[in-house]
Amino acid sequence: MAEATTEAKKKPARLSLDGWAVAIALLLAALVRLGVLKHVVW
Amino acid sequence: MASSTVALKAEPIRLPQRVVALLPGVALLIIVGLAGKVLEKTIAGYTKAHHIVFPNIEYVLWAIVVGLLISNTVGVPQWFKPGVATYEFWLKTGIVLLGARFLLADVLKLGSVSLVLVLIELGLSIAFMTLLGRIFKLSPKLTSLLAVGSSICGVSAIIATKGAIDADDEDASFAIAAILALGALALFTFPPIGHWLGMSDRMYGLWAGTGVDNTAEAVAAGALYSDAAAKIAVLAKTTRNAMIGFVVLGYALYWAAREGRQAVGNKAAFLWQKFPKFVLGFLLISLLASLSVFNKDQIGSLANLSRWAFLLTFAGVGLRINFKEMKKQGIRPFIVGALGEVVIAAITLGLVLGASKIVTL
Repeated sequence: MAEATTEAKKKPARLSLDGWAVAIALLLAALVRLGVLKHVVW
Repeated sequence: MASSTVALKAEPIRLPQRVVALLPGVALLIIVGLAGKVLEKTIAGYTKAHHIVFPNIEYVLWAIVVGLLISNTVGVPQWFKPGVATYEFWLKTGIVLLGARFLLADVLKLGSVSLVLVLIELGLSIAFMTLLGRIFKLSPKLTSLLAVGSSICGVSAIIATKGAIDADDEDASFAIAAILALGALALFTFPPIGHWLGMSDRMYGLWAGTGVDNTAEAVAAGALYSDAAAKIAVLAKTTRNAMIGFVVLGYALYWAAREGRQAVGNKAAFLWQKFPKFVLGFLLISLLASLSVFNKDQIGSLANLSRWAFLLTFAGVGLRINFKEMKKQGIRPFIVGALGEVVIAAITLGLVLGASKIVTL
């Protein structure tokens, strides 16, 4: 029981909003570089 | 057993569930943003076809106005709100992607001009807002929050400082409301003033980036002027955002000393914790572009992805503005904020005009 409580209390490592924004932007940049995303229109 | 049940119940919602909860609001951002684009094209096409003289109103303003109309008439239902709040995520993603349009040499050149302007603006804004808070007898912590919000980067800075100086929720919401109301006002005042003064895109972009508080509104105010102005506004605002850790640390130390609390332990860790990491992402993409990792077509694609991200941001800016909620917060913090903003806008305008005499802008 103590283990379950300790386990549940452990905070999972969470990415901050900035971290997510950078990760997604880098992923998009990689997709553009590798040619997966070609000619994004506006 | 009871304790373990409670602890297990308090487990955070899983990522897929959180993503699903965001979908309605993100869909609303897309619809409002696209409505802005469609309105711009339709009205421009109609006025041109019928030879009507009408100023070209950019999608940026339409997206904000459509969002603002929804928010202040039918309102934004609760189940849309988590997704609408993602506009800040789109803003930061857009800024990182925009790094592709800057060569690192440009960033260093313009960034150093921005940095000098930002440092002067920071000192003058904090001093002036503190003085105004004292004159209007606002609580000292509310004054600190307003000073930080108007000198650095609006809502993020207020939230970071609130935790660091142990301010009340009420003071923080007062300061946030004032900063948001004034940011909304800047969207409609900065572009006409810039045009009236005949400012170049670079000069105006620097002014919007140093004079408008909240990042989303600063980028929107730049985009309302021109695409090039938005680019410079992002750079100037990013330089300002990078200062957040130092100012919050200064306030944390001041309030800890004043209240006899233990001051911040590891200052370097504190600075790193408060530093906006998307600035590093922006620099990284800019470095990659400078090293010719992307070809011309790819840089165009990255710039367009950045525009799409900003489109969702502008829709979110409009959807977040709620005049009824702002009215509830009372008039005094708003007056202090408004007086401060007018003076800060004038100071930053003077700084930009002065800098343009020294360096080519």
